[in-house]
Amino acid sequence: MTKGKFYPLLLGVAVALGACSKNNEKTSVGTGNTPPPNAIAPGNVSGVVKGVFVAGASYTITGNLQVNKGDTLSAQPGAQITVKNNSLINVDGVLSLIGSKDSTIEINSDTKLPGSWGGLICDSATSVTIKWTHVDNTGGPDPTGSPTETVEMTTPGTLDIEDSWFTNGQDNGFNLKGGCKITILRNTILCSGSTDGEAIDVKNGVTGTIAYNVIYSQAGTAIKLESSSTTPIPQTQITAYNNTILCNGWRRGQAEPGRAISVDVGAMALFYNNIIEDNYQGILVTDQADTTNTKYGNNLFYASADTFLDTTGAASGLTPVTINIRSEFYPPDGIAKPQPTDIISTMVGQFDPMFVSFDGKLSTPNGAATSNNYHLQPGSPAIGKGNTTYNADIGAYTSDGKGNQH
Amino acid sequence: MKTAFLLCFTFFCQWIYAQNGGIKGKVTGKDGEPLIGALVTLEHTSFRAVTDSEGRFSFQNVPPGEYIVVLESVGYGTANRHIKLKEGETEKVNAELEPRTTELQEVSVYGKLSQEEDAGARNREKRSDNIVNVVSARAMERSPDINAANVLQRVSGVTVLRNGGGDEAYADVRGMQPQYNNTLIDGIKIASPDDKSRTISMSLVPSDLLGSIEVHKTLLPEMEGDAIGGTVNLVMKDAPQKETFKVLGSLGYSTIVFNQPFDYFSRKDIQQKSPTERYGDSYVAQPGDFSRTNLEFHPITPPPTGTATIAYGNRYMHNKLGLLVVESFQNQYYGNYNNFAQVGPAYNANGAPQITDFANRWYSTQQLNEGITAHLDYNINPRNKITLNNMALYSFLGQARTEVDTAIVGGNGGRTVPGTGPVTTDWTSATQRTYMENLKLSGKHVLSQHFMLDWTGVYSLAFARAPDMADLQVNDLIDSVHSANGTYGYNGTYGFQKTPNYFDAISRVWQHNRDQDFDVMANLSYKTSLPGRGILELKGGGLYRAKVRYNLQNSYTLKPDTDAMGIKQVFIDVQSARWTVFDPKGSYDYDVNNYRAYEDIAAGYGEFKFSFPWLDVLGGVRVENTQQGFTINNFHVGSINEVHKTYTDPLPSLDLKFKLNPKTNLRASYYKSIARPAYYDLVPTQVLNFAAGTATEGNDTLKHTVADNYDLRFEYYPREEEALQAGVFYKHLINTIEQQSSDGVNYRISNVPEAHVYGAELSYTKYFGKFGLTGNYTYLNSRTVTSKQYYHLNPPYQQPDSLVPRPLQGMTDHTVNLSAMYRNPKRGTFVQLAFQYLGSSLSNVYNIVGWDYYQRPTANLALSAEQQLRNRHLTLFTKWNNLTNSSVRSQIKGHSDMDLSKEVTGLSFSFGLRYEH
Repeated sequence: MTKGKFYPLLLGVAVALGACSKNNEKTSVGTGNTPPPNAIAPGNVSGVVKGVFVAGASYTITGNLQVNKGDTLSAQPGAQITVKNNSLINVDGVLSLIGSKDSTIEINSDTKLPGSWGGLICDSATSVTIKWTHVDNTGGPDPTGSPTETVEMTTPGTLDIEDSWFTNGQDNGFNLKGGCKITILRNTILCSGSTDGEAIDVKNGVTGTIAYNVIYSQAGTAIKLESSSTTPIPQTQITAYNNTILCNGWRRGQAEPGRAISVDVGAMALFYNNIIEDNYQGILVTDQADTTNTKYGNNLFYASADTFLDTTGAASGLTPVTINIRSEFYPPDGIAKPQPTDIISTMVGQFDPMFVSFDGKLSTPNGAATSNNYHLQPGSPAIGKGNTTYNADIGAYTSDGKGNQH
Repeated sequence: MKTAFLLCFTFFCQWIYAQNGGIKGKVTGKDGEPLIGALVTLEHTSFRAVTDSEGRFSFQNVPPGEYIVVLESVGYGTANRHIKLKEGETEKVNAELEPRTTELQEVSVYGKLSQEEDAGARNREKRSDNIVNVVSARAMERSPDINAANVLQRVSGVTVLRNGGGDEAYADVRGMQPQYNNTLIDGIKIASPDDKSRTISMSLVPSDLLGSIEVHKTLLPEMEGDAIGGTVNLVMKDAPQKETFKVLGSLGYSTIVFNQPFDYFSRKDIQQKSPTERYGDSYVAQPGDFSRTNLEFHPITPPPTGTATIAYGNRYMHNKLGLLVVESFQNQYYGNYNNFAQVGPAYNANGAPQITDFANRWYSTQQLNEGITAHLDYNINPRNKITLNNMALYSFLGQARTEVDTAIVGGNGGRTVPGTGPVTTDWTSATQRTYMENLKLSGKHVLSQHFMLDWTGVYSLAFARAPDMADLQVNDLIDSVHSANGTYGYNGTYGFQKTPNYFDAISRVWQHNRDQDFDVMANLSYKTSLPGRGILELKGGGLYRAKVRYNLQNSYTLKPDTDAMGIKQVFIDVQSARWTVFDPKGSYDYDVNNYRAYEDIAAGYGEFKFSFPWLDVLGGVRVENTQQGFTINNFHVGSINEVHKTYTDPLPSLDLKFKLNPKTNLRASYYKSIARPAYYDLVPTQVLNFAAGTATEGNDTLKHTVADNYDLRFEYYPREEEALQAGVFYKHLINTIEQQSSDGVNYRISNVPEAHVYGAELSYTKYFGKFGLTGNYTYLNSRTVTSKQYYHLNPPYQQPDSLVPRPLQGMTDHTVNLSAMYRNPKRGTFVQLAFQYLGSSLSNVYNIVGWDYYQRPTANLALSAEQQLRNRHLTLFTKWNNLTNSSVRSQIKGHSDMDLSKEVTGLSFSFGLRYEH
């Protein structure tokens, strides 16, 4: 065989392969392999920063980060961020952490101990977006020795937190003030606040929606709403629906019982379709709230035990105190009353929301591991009993799939 | 107590010895008035005397022989008398001195009419080139007052601003707050132990150290220009003309210690240094590093408040060398109760004010002040004099505070029915040592008949150490117990139940700072006569001051251990409390209160004075260049870590003094002056004030204040010690520096673009034989604006922020001081009853229209009395303060039913003995 004889054959094969590949065209776009022009180099980061934490890369924050006004700090799906030295991230510009269901962003400290870094302090930020991100173990001491909050925003920007996880903080989870506009959807907030702090603390003219969140074992109140006691306008106006709120408010003790939802000082709220189980107190609306415009109903109240025995003072010789959980669904201190559309359990076993799994522990320490699953079993009394303005079901996990994705 | 008195008595007796005759007499002016403070010397001997309040003098134990008695007084001529003194006899020498109208350069080496006596003080006011009020040492000694703060509050146009605990006190001159005034000691600005400002608490200065207090209300070019309200000059006692020895002691009580428990805590376990300072920066603090006994409060009956002063002065080396040493000690135990309420708009009552939070505070304070001044002057010759002054002030403060704070609205649910609510209790123990020292060397030199030079060099040091200020916070809930039938008896009958106290947190703060000033200044003046019995004086000079200071703070937070369920710890007592150290490395590496600051001032001036028998015209310009700033020790990313400011102000002034007759002046004055931001006012960080329970945020964009000041004053001095002064003034301020609050707790320091201040002052002293009346009245008004909100809540509507007029903070509208005196020099009796009325003043600026807090008028009575015992060297005295047991309250205008703050200090009294020779 001479070389020459092969040429037509090769050509023929090539033509045939060419025709074939045209039919099965595959396009691959440069995901992650080509860093964006403003990528932040992987490795140690500290000081003034802007740009992008890129997908799949690992970063170690070794000192406080500062995002200046006008600058943006963003993260791509899969970015791994480890924080050392109790550093915090202070944002005066834009924060945009956008992970995906398949590739979440992780922010945690090197020690992975509760209260070991300073959180996302976005006091003066213009915009905060956090999606599909794990934010764990915040709450290290700030310059005054107080625990920092997990996410803080105190100016009239926009805050959008969706599908993310927040665990083991030391104080308030989200501390929101100063008239920001909030959208807090489908998040899971677990085991935060050492002996104080609310999960979502909304004050001073903040408006927006809090829905489909799971809030479990917060030291203080799960969703706390207030206007400023000195500057009542703009008013705090929140719609809170389809949240699953469990086991909150115990760690702070009897002097400051935590609630599932509290509406105080000039705040206006609409809250429907929430599952409220095993909290120290359920729904508190004080006489200082905007009682004319605050509306609520279709909330499911359940206690997995009749009472909680508080033995905190036992070491000091105090008699243990028995707390009747059901009598605190609408605590007598408040003016909120049971609504006809509410589902209120009057005994253990009645109107149990039937979570896939729940260990029945009412109070656990800050940072304790938990593996409960708050999806509803078929036949749950929460299904189909919602206020349909919001959802046909009650709780964070709904049959229409619009609820929590975790 | 008896033993103490007896001991004192024995001590005094050693100083009493037999007295013989000698030379005595009286010095009078041309209309027969006694001349006080005139100098009498026996030529070529060491005998010197200064005339007393009746113009009398005497020499004892004078050996027989021939003498020339020289009698002289400032502003008068000199008289010589030749006498022959025989053994055992007493010669009388009386002299009438001629007033002298013109003088050229003169070093005040001898015969100064002493400002330490009332007559000298009035004379100083009359002869001064600017508008000044003077309080003499004699007046202070006889007053009910024991420190500079107490004395100042009785001066025309001065009110005293106290902090909540009553341990710090600052002078407001003409209603202008301390940041608008400067405080000098012997004409020199001194370093401050305050951690944030340059002010010095006047309660640290025992009045026994003072020769006089001058309050200058207008400035001359030769004076420092940072006084808009005025300059307070504390003049230390001067070396006497003859040997002087004085001892005094007193014991007394502040009676509030009997009306509320006086809490004491042990100081034995207080660590002087924080764990970081003890073991290094990387040390991880352990729970056992923090003492417990300083947080255990025990009620005690405190020992009495005691004061003691010893002073000795003499002249040596043929009177060339003068010496005075004064040592003053005060150990006071006092208490204070105060409360403070915050108000907020009630949402469901269309924004009507309601109390949102109410705090009760009880303070128990021990304050020990120790002051030593030493004065040495050396007269090289009549034309050259050098003076060395040293002043050291040490103070210890130990304070136990209990604060009980109830959230009425908000907080964690607030109050449901009266008597209920979430309660936070704080126990705070604080100790602080402050030290100030001021070393000053100065000289005066008559270079020729026309030229005089004076110069001063100063080193001034202040430091404070506040180790381990410990605050323990617990909380509980007082709730109503509702009827048993399970109804939501919100408005039904109820009882109360209280939860246990829960252990919130403990904070421990170590702080120390040091402030050092180095000053040099010099003035050269030229004097010459002008036709028409006139004098022209030209003066120029300058000042340079470099200040360096640091402040260090390290704090720790201790958090309660929790039980197996993670629940907060119940608090029983501090010994059984269990905690973990939340920030085991302390705040040392990131505390914003760790900073270095500096302030360099370079100033120069030129001044002229035309003096004619009927008119003095004094004017000129001062130029002050300021460089001030600070650097935070730790780098804070994205924050402002340092601020530097430089500014130069030309400060012109003009003073006219029409001498209508020898007893009457009419003055007109203009001056421009500034107020500098305090060191820490520029730091844009929120800093907590634990004592007051407030937080203040600085402001790096703060500008210094500049003011134009206009004054008119009529003065009439009918006789020695008597005066009538009446004046009006107007001030226009640009960029005032004010603390503004949005809620009564959080403050921000900011500039208000403009303020107008005007006022009138009247003061009067008159004697009718043995009775005297002295008093003053001050009217103050001011106008500035604040941006405020107005709310309509149903439906919600907010009027856009508007600028609403208001007065300046802390400015009292009407102040009256009136003292009735009885004096009988023959019997050695003096009694003074002092009345004070303080009108209304703006105490807190609120963000809502019409809701500013105003302090309500108060009236107050004080009494002092003294009686010389038989030998005239020994005086028994007593001082009584706040006889009316008045308290200070504040409220919102139009809501007199709401008491928003109240402060009770109670009556105090003392008895003492004074020996003078």
